[in-house]
Amino acid sequence: MTEAALQRPPPAAEPPEPDIVAALRGRLGPAGLLCHQPTQDGIPTCWVAADQVLPALRYLKDEAAPRYAMLFDLTAVDERLRRHRVGLPDSDFTLVYQLLSFDSNDWFRLKLALPAGTASAPSITGLWASANWYEREVFDLFGIEFVGHPNLRRIIMPPTWQGHPLRKDHPARATEMGLFSLPAERQAFEQEALRFVPEEWGMRRSGEDNDFLFLNLGPNHPSVHGVFRIALQLDGEEIVDAVPDIGYHHRGAEKMGERQSWHSYIPYTDRVDYLGGSLNNLPYVMAIEQMTGIEVPPRAQVIRVMISEFYRIASHLLFYGTFAQDVGQMSPVFYTFVDREKVFDIVESITGARMHSSFFRIGGVAADLPQGWDRRVREFVDWLPPRLDEYDGMVMQNGLLKRRTQGIGVYDTEQAIAWGVTGAGLRATGLAWDFRKARPYSGYENFEFEVPTGRNGDCYDRCAVRVDEMRQSVRIIRQCLAHMPEGPYKARHPLTTPPPKERTMHDIETLIQHFLSVSWGPVIPPGEGFACIEATKGLNGYYLTSDGGTMSYRTRIRTPSFPHLQLIPDMARGLMIADLIAILASIDFVMADVDR
Amino acid sequence: MNVDRVQVESLVPLAIYFLLVLGVVGVMLAIPRFVAQRRRSQARDEPFESGILSVGDTHLHLGVHFWPIAIFFVIFDLEAIFIFAWAVAVREVGWPGYLEMLVFVSVLLAALVYLWKLGALDWRTRRQQLQDSLLSERG
Amino acid sequence: MSVGSPLNIGLILGAVIATAAVLIWVERRLLAVWQDRLGPNRLGPLGLLQVAADMIKILSKEDWVPPFADKGVFVFAPTVIMVTMLTAFAVVPIAPDVGIIDFNFGLLYFLALSSLSVYSAVLAGYASNNKYSLYGALRASAQTLSYEVFMGLSVMGVVMLAGTFDLRVIVEAQQNLWYIVPQCLGFAVFFIAALAESHRTPFDLPEAEHELVAGFHTEYSGIKFGMFFVGEYIGITLSSAMMVTLFFGGWHGPLLPPVVWFVLKTAVFIMLFILIRGSLPRPRYDQLMAFGWKVMLPLALVNLMLTGALVLMVGSDA
Repeated sequence: MTEAALQRPPPAAEPPEPDIVAALRGRLGPAGLLCHQPTQDGIPTCWVAADQVLPALRYLKDEAAPRYAMLFDLTAVDERLRRHRVGLPDSDFTLVYQLLSFDSNDWFRLKLALPAGTASAPSITGLWASANWYEREVFDLFGIEFVGHPNLRRIIMPPTWQGHPLRKDHPARATEMGLFSLPAERQAFEQEALRFVPEEWGMRRSGEDNDFLFLNLGPNHPSVHGVFRIALQLDGEEIVDAVPDIGYHHRGAEKMGERQSWHSYIPYTDRVDYLGGSLNNLPYVMAIEQMTGIEVPPRAQVIRVMISEFYRIASHLLFYGTFAQDVGQMSPVFYTFVDREKVFDIVESITGARMHSSFFRIGGVAADLPQGWDRRVREFVDWLPPRLDEYDGMVMQNGLLKRRTQGIGVYDTEQAIAWGVTGAGLRATGLAWDFRKARPYSGYENFEFEVPTGRNGDCYDRCAVRVDEMRQSVRIIRQCLAHMPEGPYKARHPLTTPPPKERTMHDIETLIQHFLSVSWGPVIPPGEGFACIEATKGLNGYYLTSDGGTMSYRTRIRTPSFPHLQLIPDMARGLMIADLIAILASIDFVMADVDR
Repeated sequence: MNVDRVQVESLVPLAIYFLLVLGVVGVMLAIPRFVAQRRRSQARDEPFESGILSVGDTHLHLGVHFWPIAIFFVIFDLEAIFIFAWAVAVREVGWPGYLEMLVFVSVLLAALVYLWKLGALDWRTRRQQLQDSLLSERG
Repeated sequence: MSVGSPLNIGLILGAVIATAAVLIWVERRLLAVWQDRLGPNRLGPLGLLQVAADMIKILSKEDWVPPFADKGVFVFAPTVIMVTMLTAFAVVPIAPDVGIIDFNFGLLYFLALSSLSVYSAVLAGYASNNKYSLYGALRASAQTLSYEVFMGLSVMGVVMLAGTFDLRVIVEAQQNLWYIVPQCLGFAVFFIAALAESHRTPFDLPEAEHELVAGFHTEYSGIKFGMFFVGEYIGITLSSAMMVTLFFGGWHGPLLPPVVWFVLKTAVFIMLFILIRGSLPRPRYDQLMAFGWKVMLPLALVNLMLTGALVLMVGSDA
């Protein structure tokens, strides 16, 4: 095969229409279901008429076979600058609902076209509680109204912000916006705008025989794991109600995706869940590989799995230590950090960096494993399990810690799914559902490991599940060690980054191709790709739209922590401040993963 | 008279010591007045509430459930005084005194058990109680 | 040299304050050792000059009183813990000839002053006009009120055995048998109460960093914050000294001079305080209260009646 032949997009063989699409068409009629859009990720994607969104979603959630129980993501695309969208309904703003079925472990994507003038859509908060924040986010970043939303206000941007950042006409860089300054009166104005007004949330200031105390926990507080704010309505120690407020860590990661080449965006993904490092590269590069049809060689896949599991261990170790610390146990965090350093030593010797190694590339990884890598990895897999046993006695078996965390912050499987909870938080309710098993990627189907679950869905179980997951990760790394395949560490494909160089000095075509690919970056064929992984904190998915350019047209990052925080008021009501801290610790979130 | 004088005199070292303690504390408070830096900024004139302006203030009516502790304290600490007096004289009052004290302490314990059964010694919130009972049902 | 001599007064005051200062370093280094770290090791031999650096720093920090606070009380609050804790030391019998005063009611005097010290946290919390501080003050008062009750009761067993509140007599009575043997239950209760009174982990709810940022002293800085800090260390030293006095034979011990024995024993308990801080999580407010009223108070009462019976039985035999 010549290089030129490889450059063509994968043959868009018209796949047969999935049964679920036919079923939905039967339900809504041809006027309701506007069209079925084939995508590179193979997810059934349907455009529906504006008045059919609610019936369609209700059908998919409650009646369809399989049932799509979880609203996995709700986002939008500003389509006004799109050039390649043949055969799709006209749209200025497209709402995208992505559903997940636990019956078939399958996805479904529903799209709704909106005109630019009066972009508004019916709210689906009545169907999924988790839609609340997603709709607020779309309203904030795109200016799309949701009719029937209980409290539609900005969520990511400050309440004083002008414009909607993810619209294509909103500046993407500070240099396009004029000089920033913060004089004293402006600062006072911004501060005043952040003051909590209980009445805006339907809260009363006093009860029958007492006044409620409104306490701001965060953004500057030792136990909110970053810049997270919760406004609490308190009656003594008891939490009457809580309003989480996010956005203080927003860095515009999705907007930046529209200004970075496909390749140079990889390091940004490390920093979304900044404890997960290269684990976050994986869904991004997998989505691009899907859009380009690149086959990743086996050695690269196993290296990816190994690095991912190392990062999973590093993240869980940090969680473990801080969890104990947040219920007042001072020492474990120091022990787990010692172990975490050992993980980073190995990651550093393989990738050259520690926390954010950006090691994965489109089509493979950045470099082959160094000589002697196996010795250090072997040392580690022998080191960690006895340490974990020791922590079991110190933390998990500690009576005080048990009393602080058992029966606290409880939710069941049904609630978890309704609120979009994934990862250890879902498994702690007793559902053995791990994406690595449900829809194996990067060769996880070749590994033996178990899916630990909890029983009560409380803080203690969430911690216990993660502790067991570390043991399973060690098991996976042992298998990587024993069965590391030989072969190339990156696919031979002109769209991989950096592109293959061997033949550039032999013919001018390849040289030009290489030059363009390095200086501009690869051109990804128009289309949509989606890839998802079991990240450290739950399901992390990248939904990419290419318009046939060197940069992404729309980069949607669906992070696990975002929906998890939405559940806090339900978990904390009627408990005490100390319980809230235990709950926050047990969720295991970082604000960059929430705010992006 | 003589005994009193002896006791007063024996307190002199304590008085000197107390004055010295006051002196040390005074000096500690005074030093920063001469050596410390001074700065002003707007934010430091606000009570710390995690970096956000406060809603309402700290002068508020608390619910009644805070006050029982104070009442229990008054009851039990007063009774403790009687026990103190008995403790130092236990040999003098002998077994009759012991029996009286036994009755006294039993009454005290009975009161405690009564409060316990009443739920007055349970400071958990309703949801905490519920979750705990659910947890013990599951075992 | 005799009890109450000027030399004694000066030396004891100096030693207590120096101990509190060095404890800042000791605690950080000890915790570091137990947590696989180094701790402050740069300034001077073994990092000992860290103490001096900390003092210079804290003294040169701005002496700031927030404009929204109740100013007089705000300044008064931290001096309460310093004064009560230091004054309470007057009755501690360090050695036969070392001490400030020989007082018939030494034990009662100690109990009274240590219960006064809670005003420090309560006043600081209320005067700060800060919500975190308010919670710290509420917790401090509830916790101290509850643990106060049985702290006194727990040492009455010792009083029965010795027949006096005079601490020096109590120590002398332990020449042959330390009271830890007949009073192990009383010691356990007293130890827990002392932990609670000093607001140390696991009883640090009034300042629980993870919940209330810094609790009652959130608005404090500079030397006034330093006073809470030093007052807490003096409190630990005082509690340790009282444990030694009441249950572990005070200055008694073979070979070494009495003062050395006293200091060594006290140091062990200080380190125990620090070790406990390094190992235990923090209970919740309701759990702490329930533990006090439902477990500790009955235990203290039971111990009292058992000891009374014991004293009378042994007494009537003799």
